Amino acid sequence: MTQTVAPHTPEVIGNDLVAEDWERLTFRVHRSAYRSEDVFRAERERIWMTSWLYLGHETEIPRPNDFKSRVVGGKPLIFVRDAQGQIRVWLNACPHRGTILCREPEGNNKHIQCFYHAWTFRTDGEIAAIPGEDAYDFSPGFRESVKLRAVPRVDTHEGFVFISFAPEGPSLLEHLGKAADIMTMATLQAPEGMTVLPGVQRYSVKGNWKLSVENAMDGYHFAPTHNTFVGYLRETGYAVTDDDQYAYDLGDGHGMLRLTGHGGRIGMIWEPRFGEAEKEHTEQVRAEMIARLGEERALQAADASRILYVFPNLMLFDLEALSIRQFEPVSAGVTDVRAWQYVPNGEPEETRQIRLRTMASFIGPGGLATPDDMEAYEAVQRGIEATKGDDRGFNDWSDMSRGMISEVRGEQGRSIDEGAMRSFWRAWSRAVGPVESDDRPGSTSTTGANR
Amino acid sequence: MTELDTARPATGAGRTVTRAEVEEFLYHEAELLDTWRLDDWFALLAEGSTYEVPTNDWTGWSTLEGGFFKSDDYGLLKARVKRLKSRKAHAENPHSRTQRMVSNVRLGERAGDLLEIRANFIVHRFRDDTTQAYVGHYEYLLEVTDDGLLIRRRRAVLTNEAMAAGARLSFIL
Repeated sequence: MTQTVAPHTPEVIGNDLVAEDWERLTFRVHRSAYRSEDVFRAERERIWMTSWLYLGHETEIPRPNDFKSRVVGGKPLIFVRDAQGQIRVWLNACPHRGTILCREPEGNNKHIQCFYHAWTFRTDGEIAAIPGEDAYDFSPGFRESVKLRAVPRVDTHEGFVFISFAPEGPSLLEHLGKAADIMTMATLQAPEGMTVLPGVQRYSVKGNWKLSVENAMDGYHFAPTHNTFVGYLRETGYAVTDDDQYAYDLGDGHGMLRLTGHGGRIGMIWEPRFGEAEKEHTEQVRAEMIARLGEERALQAADASRILYVFPNLMLFDLEALSIRQFEPVSAGVTDVRAWQYVPNGEPEETRQIRLRTMASFIGPGGLATPDDMEAYEAVQRGIEATKGDDRGFNDWSDMSRGMISEVRGEQGRSIDEGAMRSFWRAWSRAVGPVESDDRPGSTSTTGANR
Repeated sequence: MTELDTARPATGAGRTVTRAEVEEFLYHEAELLDTWRLDDWFALLAEGSTYEVPTNDWTGWSTLEGGFFKSDDYGLLKARVKRLKSRKAHAENPHSRTQRMVSNVRLGERAGDLLEIRANFIVHRFRDDTTQAYVGHYEYLLEVTDDGLLIRRRRAVLTNEAMAAGARLSFIL
């Protein structure tokens, strides 16, 4: 069957891979945005090398000289607390010849020593020893020039450590914008602060990173994709509904789903799955929060679940319990993921047990829900090969038009609409700009939509 | 058989358990899982049993102290089995094809009717024209009964540094 599409030029945002049409109320993303290595390279350069990126949480390295080695934006890094307690982020490459300095994933060392020629550095980046250093004495300023290489900018919000490979640009708080307070809200239940626990879920998905962003901002998939998980929740007496759940554009690509139709929040909203004993603890936590924060702020934090996406690589799931998720695009079709349990300090053991078990029952590659999301990313990544190079109509476009009418009416978009995905894609399109892609016949992506 | 084993009675909870019996039990369990006979597999679990898959960086912390991939109590295990039998468990529809190799079976501490077991595994998974190998060891706590063995605790500890691209733990490891 021949498909005919009336000539009409939708609005182009930052590039013609995202096409928004307010006349027809359609929003479409060209599938080369998920497939093309050209697009991936453009993202690396224009997003990952310019934006603030989530690196890790300061409670992962609590003691002086604790370190983690971690790859972010394709760059091997050392995330370390120096002997004075300051957070430092070094490129994990010896200034001498480029050897990986920390080959262990984590540890505690006063010195960072390269095994190759035994150049040795302090955790604050200064040279501790260069074997046979007298041979370099004739070279002025040499010692100063071979200190550990720092990531240009490091800053912290609520213990969340971000880095930027761009020496200049907006401050972290400017970048976070409205997302900053949503992160703060996730800490308010804990008068003694929050901690990231050991036990990081490291996994890797054969899907483009933006599919996981879409998925997190997409309440529409929840009922069909997580049919069996919803069934389990209902059996345990947990109320699940899509009513009164909304999606928020937090600006600059950040987004949030605010969920009040999912009942249980450990320590804040009791549900039968948590057991009778947890009821009293919940009352205590709520009373303490109200006394400390005032009723309005306490209930704002306590009474709604939130899925927060911080552009480009952080998600904070503030649901029954809390989970931090970081993703690291490896190629157009592969994304590495890290996920941590994020817990209030000082809570009773029984509560901690319920919290950790409840979160693991849902989140991660062994949960009852996340594997179905992984199936979705991977099934999309495989499926979009079918329309590659197919320039008939909208065959090679994915649709995200759901609920555009409510944007026209000025209503708050529902979580089961696709508004939070659209605001992400708009920001993405502006950030990435035009891309020359070999994955798209008849378009260089610089000339606007031509269909 | 050790000297201790030979001193045990032939029947009852204190009866002798040989490595051959444990191996047979583990091979049977592996076959049930590879053939997706999940109700039969669930019948191997004693009531109140737990199933854990620690994260790859595990250094021995308890389910109170750190994150896990799986930390199922008996109720959650039951829910997991029910889910996996549903056509709506999309991550496992179609089912992964798995083939388990269980070896290096060692009998550990015996306390009354409880017996610790350690064994190595390689589980090959095939799906969507890709394959991954899950490599690690099992730590079982088995209950010795007159009729055979039951699982009280089942922990699958991965040796892989991280989950490979495309790997997931949607099946029973």
